[in-house]
Amino acid sequence: MTAPLLDISGLHYRYPGARSDALADLDLTVDEAEFVAVVGANGSGKSTLARLLGGLERPAAARRAVACGHDLLSGEGRLAARRDVGVLFQNPENQLVAEHVEEDIAFGLENLGWPSADIRRRVDEMLARFDLEDLRRREPHLLSGGQKQRAALAGVLAIPRRAIVLDEPTAMLDPAGRADVLAAVVALRAEGLAVVYITQEMDEVMGADRVVALEGGSEAYSGEVDGLFADGALVRRLNLGLPVVAEVAQEMARRGRPLPTFPLTLDALLASLGERS
Amino acid sequence: MKGAGRKAGRAGAQPVDSADAAAATVTAAAAAAAVGAAAAGPVPAGMSLACHGVTFSYEEGREAVPAVRDVGFELAAGGSLALLGASGAGKSTLLQLVRGLDEPEAGAVDLDGVEPGGEGYPALRREVGLVFQIPELQLFAPSAREDVAFGPRRLRWSEERVAEAVSAALELVGLPEDKFGDRHPYALSGGEQRRLALAGVLAMKPRLLLLDEPFVSLDPVTRRQLAEILGRLKDAGVTIILATHDVDLAWALCDEMLVLCDGVVAASGAWEHGAAATDLLVRNRLREPQLVELWRRLGRDLATAPRTAAEAAEALA
Amino acid sequence: MRPAIAQYYPGDSLMHRLDPRAKFVAVSALAVALFVRDSFVGLAVYAAAAALAYAISGVPVRWFWRAFKPLLWLVGLTFLAQVVFAPGIPFFSFWFIHLSWSGIELAAFLSLRLVVLVLAGSVLTLTTAPIALTDGLAWLGRPLRRIKVPTDELALMVTIALRFIPTLLVELDTIMRAQRARGADFRSGGLRERVRALVPVLIPLFVLSFRRADDLALAMEARCYRPGIVRTRLHPLRAGRADVLLLVVTAAVIAAGLLV
Repeated sequence: MTAPLLDISGLHYRYPGARSDALADLDLTVDEAEFVAVVGANGSGKSTLARLLGGLERPAAARRAVACGHDLLSGEGRLAARRDVGVLFQNPENQLVAEHVEEDIAFGLENLGWPSADIRRRVDEMLARFDLEDLRRREPHLLSGGQKQRAALAGVLAIPRRAIVLDEPTAMLDPAGRADVLAAVVALRAEGLAVVYITQEMDEVMGADRVVALEGGSEAYSGEVDGLFADGALVRRLNLGLPVVAEVAQEMARRGRPLPTFPLTLDALLASLGERS
Repeated sequence: MKGAGRKAGRAGAQPVDSADAAAATVTAAAAAAAVGAAAAGPVPAGMSLACHGVTFSYEEGREAVPAVRDVGFELAAGGSLALLGASGAGKSTLLQLVRGLDEPEAGAVDLDGVEPGGEGYPALRREVGLVFQIPELQLFAPSAREDVAFGPRRLRWSEERVAEAVSAALELVGLPEDKFGDRHPYALSGGEQRRLALAGVLAMKPRLLLLDEPFVSLDPVTRRQLAEILGRLKDAGVTIILATHDVDLAWALCDEMLVLCDGVVAASGAWEHGAAATDLLVRNRLREPQLVELWRRLGRDLATAPRTAAEAAEALA
Repeated sequence: MRPAIAQYYPGDSLMHRLDPRAKFVAVSALAVALFVRDSFVGLAVYAAAAALAYAISGVPVRWFWRAFKPLLWLVGLTFLAQVVFAPGIPFFSFWFIHLSWSGIELAAFLSLRLVVLVLAGSVLTLTTAPIALTDGLAWLGRPLRRIKVPTDELALMVTIALRFIPTLLVELDTIMRAQRARGADFRSGGLRERVRALVPVLIPLFVLSFRRADDLALAMEARCYRPGIVRTRLHPLRAGRADVLLLVVTAAVIAAGLLV
């Protein structure tokens, strides 16, 4: 059995001057080609986790913190981790550095000192893969939110990665942009990358292999997606965004008529209602 | 390696379900507001609105790009209108025209039956509030109280009136003055900042409230809080126009709808539920409200389609 | 929408294809020569060279005019100052104003020199993409690294700043509108009032920019950026024979202007 790509145990982090831990004794393992969703409300430690996994922040303490074979507790380990673990952030505007899309995609490779010819080849590859060819010379401020985020993702993945962490990538997008980015993310699964997808919206965790729920910096649940949905009380406590149909189920449970399964889609709700009657 | 089972959540300083706590605060505040409504009235009764042939274009380089063309619709006092449409359809432009930040090239915006240029029009215009997208961008003062007071002070109200308005507005959005008045806006959480920015507009006692995508970039908890606040305002009789992508929230909060497509009105009036109506929404990168689709697929009478999950649960339980 | 003086006009002319370093050196040398030489004839030579370069670039004349317009006042002021105050035998006197032919001549020369300077500079900025120009300047400035001037980092900073100008302009407009919706008034009142009215606009813009800097720095680090690294380029600068030719021709023109 191969070692997990992301192997975290007993992770602690506290912001300077903060009254409580942002992350407390957290365990997380993610294998190659595994898609793990991490859910939690604001303040649950999600973004801190993203930065730590990407080697962008130093853990306060950990029994073990290894990302793609690099020790996150050491400075060199963190620098090395930045190469293997990509991180995509929430705000599309504040990730695009260059004047044109193609140059922004090249940014990471330029930092790694790749020869120009190789950079050009890889940029062309990324433009094609993320359907950005028509936008290659476009300036960032002329792109829609979804386009910006796709361009940012292309820029992150231009550097060949083994794992990627996405920190609420659709939070600032409109429905069209959201669909855009989610489609691109789904495609990542086929690449064999370890994917950590952080979100507050329940309808985005559906395709995950596993979901981890964070509450106050610690793990409140880790397991199959269905298992989380089955626990209505937990879902409510986590303050996640639920599609309307799930809210209907919650309201029915409140009125003493719980449904056999917790639905996230209309089909699931209808099936539940059918089962009930 | 796929873990089974779940670990118990950590005990310890776990806040009470914050959504419920916030909801309770807002409810209590609104109840107080309703009681005081007759007197000082923290929430004034609504204004009616009528647009006729409103047209406006932007200059881009040498070209004039039409943003809205020949837009006409009416909204009675106390009404609630969902302004729907794809990105770039002209929703923001229309709201800014109604507020009077721009003057239309053609057509007019009548407020409470008064035409532009008519007597009392400028005063009526000052009673129209507009909450921009990502309104946290407008926060600048060193304290929450000062920032909310900005608008009322610009209206040249007496300091007493300003103080009352600030206090009432902060209560309404669930940021009571004694707890939040002195806090620095930038020290607040994202959701609190959003609500603070809303308070800044509500403090001006608008009788027509325009909101440009108020739910975008919001965490789920604040989304629920905001929906409740808007619901209370609507109940208190303020006329509301809500531009949003969120069809489900629009359905929950607004009695009427208007679809803007490339600057032109594609549909307006009461919500319609036929195939044609759904088709129109889909063509504008929207969809039918989930609860309506639910009712349709359950074979129930669409005229009784529930607006909120709670209503749906009532009917189904 | 950038200020016209730094505007880039995309194209494929010979001027566009020349290496930015060569162009910069050529324009700088010409600028120095312009100030050394003080005869109309020499000025005419340089003016002709600059005009020829402009013509080759294929950029419409009105773009030069757009770059020049903001400086019109400077040219006018220079002209007037010289006309009024320059030494020479006056043919007309009124109060402190002494008009003399030599004064007018000097005024004309200085004004025309400014025009030629802007013309030459425009050829550079109109035919060179900002990123290429900053790359070129960074390369030329490389020796400064010996005295610890972080030229590459500065070049990157300039590039990023330019990239965000249009974004900031939109955000500025949005914030102004949002405050206007709350009753702010940016037009009326004296200077003092208008400056104070800008506070609710400038503070949010500053805060926004600081947050942006934080986010951006993180995103850059996540893509393996660190100050001090040696970065390769997607479009590296490549000087060729045409660039050497440009430098030779420029040297010849400068010499001609000085000797004529």
